[in-house]
Parts: sequence; structure tokens; C-alpha cells
Amino acid sequence: MQRAIESVGIPTVIVAALPPVVRQAGTPRAVAPLVPMGANAGAPHDVEMQYNVCKDALQFIAECETPGKIEPLPYEYHAVI
Amino acid sequence: MSLTVVKGLQSEIFVPVTPKSVWAPVTKPMNEWVVGLATAAGVHLKSQERFNLAGDFTWRKIPNDTPEDQLMVSHGGYDNSDVNKDINCMFPITRIHELAKDGVIKGAAPFHAGFMGGGGNIEKFTNETGPAVAAMFKEEGVDAVIVTAG
Repeated sequence: MQRAIESVGIPTVIVAALPPVVRQAGTPRAVAPLVPMGANAGAPHDVEMQYNVCKDALQFIAECETPGKIEPLPYEYHAVI
Repeated sequence: MSLTVVKGLQSEIFVPVTPKSVWAPVTKPMNEWVVGLATAAGVHLKSQERFNLAGDFTWRKIPNDTPEDQLMVSHGGYDNSDVNKDINCMFPITRIHELAKDGVIKGAAPFHAGFMGGGGNIEKFTNETGPAVAAMFKEEGVDAVIVTAG
């Protein structure tokens, strides 16, 4: 999906919980906060974390110069199971 | 030292091939971007048809002004409990509206995209679903897309 959008000329970033998977799928740009699958953009109701994940993801679109780069983001959330 | 070369020898270890890179350049500063969301988390409107949990390559068009309580998830491939508590975990629509309000970006796209990742008919995803979603964003004049998946 990301590759399809990118190929029509729109820059994208994927917010990934599983960086190796998106690397394998050939992502153009990815950011990876320390999150479980299902809360990629941040912990539920954690407005500040979600806001910053989105903002940093967009910032990474603006700054990234190397296709395939995966940028770790300094936010962490552990789901209690 | 000479190397032993055997023609046609292949590794017994499966080595997946990463596809060639695709790359769209950024043309504007961030505060002029209209931003779209595409999520593989199975997000859709409560009024829309649910995804087939056994595998589904279809996608749902999500209007930007949809209230959070009108959205839901149908996806059989991950723990839905966080996203059921707060749709923004996978579909950070309200955060995008806040970024627009704060002037970080220009605005949100009129429509976003929800689909069910994690497998299914990859050929259909690659040849139909992906291009269809891309065409919608292109038509909307979107400048950047945040994808949540993986």
C-alpha cells in the first residue's frame, strides 16, 4: 500500500510496530516507536504520545533522504495483557 | 587461496528478496501539506461492511469528518483491545486534526483509507487495492500520507 501511494508521487511514512517486516516489504520511509502491534501510533488515550508520533513521522518525511530508512522514535508503550 | 566455485549452487536457506525501492520526493514545506491516513488495521465506519476476517483485499473510504464513535475495527490478525479503546492508536485522525489546528500541517485529506492488512490476496492488494487508494489520494491533492501497519 505504501509503495503504491509513493509510486503515484505522494511521499509517505509508515508507523510500524514491527520494523523488520516493513523493511522486508520494501518500505520507502518508516518510523518505529516502541509499541505493540495494534497501538502503532501510541498508547490508548495518550494524546501527547500519539500527537508526537504523528508529528515526528511527518517530520521524518521532510528530512529522510535515503529510501528504505527506518527511524526509531523515542516513545515507549507496553500493553498490559 | 582459490575459491571453489560450483555453478548453479543455491543456498538452502530461504533468502527473501526485498523489492526495489520506490521514492516520491517532498516538494513543499510541512505546513503546506494536506495529510492523508491509510491504515491496515481494519478501520471502517460502523455503517460500512465489515472486513472478512479470513482475508479481505477490499478497502473502505473514511470521510475526514467522521466522529470517532462512528468508527470501528474488524481485523482478525492482531490484538484489537487497544484500538477498541481508542481508534487513534491505529487511525490517529484526531491527532491529525490537532496538527492542522496547530499549524504544523495545512490540513487533513477529505477522505482516508482503511483496509485489512496481514495477508490475504497479495496480488489483488498490489494490483488493485493499492493503486485504487493511491488514486484517491492523488485526486484529493494529498501531499503526504501516514500509513499505520506492520
